Amino acid sequence: MINIEKLTIAEIKKGYIDKKFTVIEIVSAYIDRIKRLDPKINAFITLCEEMALKEAAILDDKIENGEEIGQLGGIPVAIKDNICTKGIKTSCASKVLEDFIAPYDATVVKKLKDAGAIIIGKTNMDEFAMGSSTENSAFKITKNPWDLGKVPGGSSGGSAAALTAGFAPLTIGSDTGGSIRQPAAFCGNVGLKPTYGLVSRYGLIAFASSLDQIGPFTKDVRDCALSLEVLQGNDPLDATSVNDTATKDYLTDLDAGIEGLKIGVPKEFFQEGLDPEIDESIKGSIKKLKEMGATVEEFSLPITESGLSAYYIVSSAEASSNLARYDGVRYGYRAETFEGIEELIVNSRSEAFGKEAKRRIMLGTYVLSSGYYDAYYKKAMLLRKKIKNVFNEAFKRYDIILSPTSPILPFGIGEKTEDPLQMYLADIYTVNINIAGLPAISIPCGFSKSKLPIGVQLIGHHYAEKKLLQAAYNLEQSLGVYKDIPELKGVE
Amino acid sequence: MAYETVIGLEIHVELDTKSKIFCSCSTEFGAKPNENTCPICTGLPGTLPVLNEEVVNLAIKAGNALNCDMNRINKFDRKNYFYPDLPKAYQISQFDLPICENGYVDIHVDGKNRRINLTRIHLEEDAGKLIHIEDEPVTLVDYNRCGVPLIEIVSEPDMRSAEEAVEFLKNLKAILEYAEVSDCRMEQGSLRCDANISVREVGQEALNTKVEIKNMNSFREILKAIQKEEKRQVELYTFGEGHKIKQETRKWDSSKGRTIPMRSKEDAHDYRYFPEPDLMPVIIAQDTIAKIKQNLPELPSKKKERFVTSYKLSEKEIDILIGKKILADYFEAVISFGADSKEAANWIIVDVLRALKEESNEEMPIKAQYLAGLIKIIDQGKISRTVGKEVFSELITTDQSPEEIVKQKGLSQISGMDQIEKIIVEIIGKNPQAVDDFKNGKAQAVGFLMGQTMKATNGKVNPKLAKEILENKLKEM
Amino acid sequence: MKITTETINYVAKLAKLKFTQQEADQFANEFEKIFTHFENLDKEDLTGIKLNEFNEVTSVLRKDEMKVFESKKELFQNVKKMRENHISIPKVIE
Repeated sequence: MINIEKLTIAEIKKGYIDKKFTVIEIVSAYIDRIKRLDPKINAFITLCEEMALKEAAILDDKIENGEEIGQLGGIPVAIKDNICTKGIKTSCASKVLEDFIAPYDATVVKKLKDAGAIIIGKTNMDEFAMGSSTENSAFKITKNPWDLGKVPGGSSGGSAAALTAGFAPLTIGSDTGGSIRQPAAFCGNVGLKPTYGLVSRYGLIAFASSLDQIGPFTKDVRDCALSLEVLQGNDPLDATSVNDTATKDYLTDLDAGIEGLKIGVPKEFFQEGLDPEIDESIKGSIKKLKEMGATVEEFSLPITESGLSAYYIVSSAEASSNLARYDGVRYGYRAETFEGIEELIVNSRSEAFGKEAKRRIMLGTYVLSSGYYDAYYKKAMLLRKKIKNVFNEAFKRYDIILSPTSPILPFGIGEKTEDPLQMYLADIYTVNINIAGLPAISIPCGFSKSKLPIGVQLIGHHYAEKKLLQAAYNLEQSLGVYKDIPELKGVE
Repeated sequence: MAYETVIGLEIHVELDTKSKIFCSCSTEFGAKPNENTCPICTGLPGTLPVLNEEVVNLAIKAGNALNCDMNRINKFDRKNYFYPDLPKAYQISQFDLPICENGYVDIHVDGKNRRINLTRIHLEEDAGKLIHIEDEPVTLVDYNRCGVPLIEIVSEPDMRSAEEAVEFLKNLKAILEYAEVSDCRMEQGSLRCDANISVREVGQEALNTKVEIKNMNSFREILKAIQKEEKRQVELYTFGEGHKIKQETRKWDSSKGRTIPMRSKEDAHDYRYFPEPDLMPVIIAQDTIAKIKQNLPELPSKKKERFVTSYKLSEKEIDILIGKKILADYFEAVISFGADSKEAANWIIVDVLRALKEESNEEMPIKAQYLAGLIKIIDQGKISRTVGKEVFSELITTDQSPEEIVKQKGLSQISGMDQIEKIIVEIIGKNPQAVDDFKNGKAQAVGFLMGQTMKATNGKVNPKLAKEILENKLKEM
Repeated sequence: MKITTETINYVAKLAKLKFTQQEADQFANEFEKIFTHFENLDKEDLTGIKLNEFNEVTSVLRKDEMKVFESKKELFQNVKKMRENHISIPKVIE
């Protein structure tokens, strides 16, 4: 019996080389586990059983023939359902795209396939990536594997839960304002949002074009570094993707020490609103870092509150434009009753979009409309430049900036307040990073008394993922928290 | 009360590229419906635009040819509105930082030279086509045209008559054709024009309410539509009902011969422009602009100047030749093979143009070398002009040279003096009555005898020589 | 700042969404709170920052080469109604 839920990517790869198991055995084990346990977790929207087993057989043949199977050869991967997978339903967890079969593969999907990864399924999310709990999905509510009464975070809650529940050793999410990092913190795994432009957005169904990035969820930082090597790179189909990646290799020297690493901690992040258990856990991480020879220093990063406003204005504005194409004409939900084209469009959109999506569309349309553009959008864009400069200045003094990932612990399903503003304010630690386009990673650093995961966020300068991953690796190894996996009480 | 018309034009020109502006689909006209499509130009979820470099080059060419200022750094913006021919529900266009600003086109109307100024030129993507089914509550959508690269050229409201507007447009078309920016075919939609018209009392500085006119599909329609709208507005002002003129869009209905109000695309006209986050700004190197300027083909105005000084042709002839770059080039090619310029112009303006119209072709029907050859052998007297027309028709359908055709069909003109004399003597012998008529002073007898000569030789005899010999012979008698 | 239901209805029209009176009122309420919060933007000193200034930015261009998208059938497989290779929609009056 392979303890499939414990295996990392690195361990599976080694297992294939050592002929400990075959690809079919691994894939079948994951599929069995998913079938058995996911009805209680609800991480998946679509399971690709047949396709995955077929791919597994092909790879086993290749291994038999001594052929190369790729950097992620035989590694099952679950993909957030806002990333296009050819021939497979890609729904964004929305009624709008409930029956949408993508006619092409996203670039990251192509890269994963080329590297030998096996797509095992599409995961649940907040509708169109708008939300922080995955409760905005039109189809199902995903549970946090550490406590089934709690949310897994969002919007990539399905991918985070799937990884933590041992449904795949690698899952893919997207992060616009924290949608990889916060679920990683809530579910106790490693989640990376790369530098804006490092990973292609072609095939990622857009929420906010200047903020979205695709990134991996993994059990540990080493797996994360390997995944990044596969996912990153210039894409001629994405004009915002990096011109050329200077760094191709993140694995080498991952375990180089962090003696002399300069870490800054923004004091504005530790004011009221931060859960005291999280505060304590972060302080524990800071202690470990100091023990390893890093210098950790408090400094002022004054733009956080207004950055949140800028984030919501810019992201809603772009979203309102990106979601305008959903009119029932070429694809997606088409209302049944309508008279004339105007009603077809209005009815289709009004019947299919969920509440939060409508809210963001309305917000975005409002801030862009004539008379309000200067007051909100223009100001937000100017502030955005300022925030980038503030971070640039900070990174002249520090190598890494450290913060909690979330100010609150995973909350109860249904507990979320009906007040959207409250939900938005909880993104305070993550959104500014997207505004500035910086890379950031969340790793598990501890648990609350009620055994709910706590994550610490490390932020790096543009394209400094190598340094970032080194720092994260060292901290992770010294903390050892990443090794814990949930018992899945009440599920097994 | 004297009124003055104020006209501004908005011209959309399809750029002559192989692929669309933001994706690699073909831009070729006439494909099957929805044949030239891909996930990007049909706005499928997750797709992104990437700018075609040739689009920038052609826009720079156009800007250069139209005397514009170049914005070396320019950017794209989203123009947001809903319409079924717009797959993303926004058009990627340029708002506050277009690729070109200012510029002008000189025109000559009613003996006056006028400079029509331009406001700007910007890049944007075209939308799809809607086909409305008659007698059914159905519209069909074809996305082939979606994403075809356009430049939008906006003129200042400098034109004062429909004639000026048409002249401006003709000159603009010629310039863009010459610069090889677009094939500018109105009938295929690669050149489209909307007009903004207002009317005010002569001497009034302020502009009155302007009306936009769309759906004018030829120069003739533009002339008629502007004149009609002008008339409509003047009448309303004359009867004190000027307030009835609304700022609206009206459609030119050519079958009804008038403009009718259109349903507005976006009631609120709130396009919510914001910078396109999926595209980087366009940054043009200084030497790119210089290189393109250097390689710009000779433009119509310069070519006309040169033709006037180099060739002994009338202004009308020159205007016709200059009117299309392909004609002007052809003319000069024919001359380069040694043909006389007046003759070449004549053949091209009359016969070649007629052949082009009949074939509705864009390619010249006869090789320049062959036309020059034809002109030469007529000039040398090897065949008559009449026979020349026959050879011309042959040249259109075959690949042979004029000399080969003449030889094959035995069309050589009889020019040998002895040969002609022999024939004349024969004709005179066969027509004693005519000879008598001549002797009796009837001059038309010469014409009759000439006719008989031409008939007898199937027009192959050199008419000049024949006439000379005939007259001499008759005098001798 | 005060946001009226009229404003909400105007924005809904632009966004091609329709709401009940109750929903529109709720939006007006929510937006008021949200936009009041956004006022913290005004506290920031934004002098000297220009939008149309592009440093360290390079153009991204592609070559003018034609490529056919092969999976044409899949491209239109999600359309609800096709007719003779066109997408069919209710009559649009221009």
